[in-house]
Amino acid sequence: MSLRHIWAITRKEFNHIIRDRSTLILVVLTPLATLLLMAYALTVELQHIPIAVLDYDRSATSRNFVQQIVSGDDLDLYAQVSSIEEIENLLMHGDVKAALVIDPNFSRDLLAMRGMPMQIIIDGTEPESGGFAVNHIASRAEEFANEALSSQMQMMGFSTDSLKPLDLRIRTWYNPGLKPRNDLIPGLISMVLGFPALSVALALAHEREHGTMEQLMATPVGRAELLIGKMIPYIVAGLINVVMLPLLAMAWFDVPFNGSFPLFFGLSAIFMFAVLSMGIIIGVFMKTQAAAMGVSFLMIFFPGFFLTGIFFPIVSMPEIMRLESLGMPGTHYAIIIRGIFLPGVGMEILWPYAVMLILLGFSFTGIASLFFRKKLG
Amino acid sequence: MTPAIRTKNLTKYFGDFTAVNGISFEAKRGEIFGFLGPNGSGKTTTIRMMLGLLTPSVGEVQALGISVSGNQAELQQRTGYMSQRFSLYNDLTVQQNLQFYGAAYGLNNVDLKARILDALSMAGLEGREDAKTKDLSGGWRQRLALSAAILHRPELIFLDEPTAGVDPISRRAFWDLLYQLVADGVTVFVTTHYMDEAEHCHNLAFIQRGNLIAEGPPADIKAKMMKGQVLEISSSDAINTVKILRAAKEQGKVSLQEIELYGSLVHVVAPDVEKEKNTIQKLLKNEEIHVEEMALIEASLEDVFIASMK
Repeated sequence: MSLRHIWAITRKEFNHIIRDRSTLILVVLTPLATLLLMAYALTVELQHIPIAVLDYDRSATSRNFVQQIVSGDDLDLYAQVSSIEEIENLLMHGDVKAALVIDPNFSRDLLAMRGMPMQIIIDGTEPESGGFAVNHIASRAEEFANEALSSQMQMMGFSTDSLKPLDLRIRTWYNPGLKPRNDLIPGLISMVLGFPALSVALALAHEREHGTMEQLMATPVGRAELLIGKMIPYIVAGLINVVMLPLLAMAWFDVPFNGSFPLFFGLSAIFMFAVLSMGIIIGVFMKTQAAAMGVSFLMIFFPGFFLTGIFFPIVSMPEIMRLESLGMPGTHYAIIIRGIFLPGVGMEILWPYAVMLILLGFSFTGIASLFFRKKLG
Repeated sequence: MTPAIRTKNLTKYFGDFTAVNGISFEAKRGEIFGFLGPNGSGKTTTIRMMLGLLTPSVGEVQALGISVSGNQAELQQRTGYMSQRFSLYNDLTVQQNLQFYGAAYGLNNVDLKARILDALSMAGLEGREDAKTKDLSGGWRQRLALSAAILHRPELIFLDEPTAGVDPISRRAFWDLLYQLVADGVTVFVTTHYMDEAEHCHNLAFIQRGNLIAEGPPADIKAKMMKGQVLEISSSDAINTVKILRAAKEQGKVSLQEIELYGSLVHVVAPDVEKEKNTIQKLLKNEEIHVEEMALIEASLEDVFIASMK
């Protein structure tokens, strides 16, 4: 292993990157842009869902109930209607996502403690908004019923203290307020930091496509030297993002960073090595840039999105996919990055994941240089 | 001294296809050895086996006295290669390309600096270090590729069609550089299909469909392979001259081996071509083609090449 050989390749690759603006953009700006875009697209908090109300009861109680439901930012009263046909019309046009139909016996049954007859109609083509409306109305209805019940009992001279059998106090640790972005953004960072894997696969395929690989093979530069030399510039470019992206997350999205930054940097460097090794494998096997691009999407990006547990919990995956997710560097790194960002844990907890990343990195580069024969044909 | 290259029964199969079929030859040290053959005849495959980039199916290659298989690392340091496809990086500058190849061959910075200056003056690119390689014309690029391939002072250099697609003046300048290298004791192994270039080699090997069909100095090859004499015909209509003579040959009216167009001239080949002169004259006269001159000439390598390809 000669440092001079590695440096020859590394410096050449740096020169290519600096000359070719599209690579520079791909390597440095794409992760940033993707993070911004996805952070906004994926954390749209459901608010101001328009609903329609059809009140057959028309009592003070039912009006009061509707008032409670639409106060706040969650649901907006789009229209009070007088028939089911009107509701259908509003749903068809997408003007409302859900409708509440209050039974004529609503206040009577409630006062008689027989329940609160009502119906919720939701637009099944938008289950997110509809489900949100259902949950909201259900929880408000419960509160409303409790209040009605206790005032009823007070009127009848009972003490209402014994009425609360359940005293549930929920505390969310590490992410008080359960802000979805605080969890999502570290996950997204782990995903976009893997992007340079594509660039390194393309850089290798480029040499093959343009015939310069043959010339390289005739030099004394060894195959491992060639692969390592090729990887270094993209690790460096990736590390720029390792610094920039958390800063962006903190400054722009107010995501707390509770762990140690040097630890984060070190483990991120190991992750870069592991994920770029996947790119190297693709670059070694694919003969053209187009093929390298396609396979990178298939083998790095899609599994990186679906299998690493960023968006979908790994525990709920079928066994075989859980196994596959273990082979993705992103899976281990997503745990590391979330651990460092939110609870701020250290090596005492993260070491198994770091070990996995190192193992994956060395096995990938090993496989790549094994199959990357310094021969043609 | 051992020869610069020695191949013994060198053979390469790709599946059922025999790309190189048991060829054996030697190239002496310090000579320009020309490797000739039409496209697809196995030239590049042979070079790749000499460099250790392909493993021979049968037979072996020795370069600089040592076997290529198993000594690839040492030989890569002592040989140079300019591949058929453009071997430089187009998006990098002249300086960056030279720097890269120097470093890839393990030159330290001090040596490299001096040798880059040498290379620039050899390629005639002084003052253009920062030009992008893709902005250079074909001739400059080939000279730059050559000087990059010899930065590490190889004893033996392989050039695969180095002047393909380069204008005649640049080709001449390129060959002048090759003569300089040979004068310094370097062995040059070059493939080409320019026959004028082949005439400038010390020794040649002809390969056709993977078979070695002739080997030796250009003059010997001509003597050995050219079975007839060449008559050069200058006429008022060279294209129709070829057509008429070929038709006559088909009908058995004239016994010629080859009838080929050479620019505005026609070359015909026959064992005793003097005997056919009158017949040719008559045939052309019948078609109202005026013969300006008919002269017996010395066969060129191109005549030999075409004759041997039939």
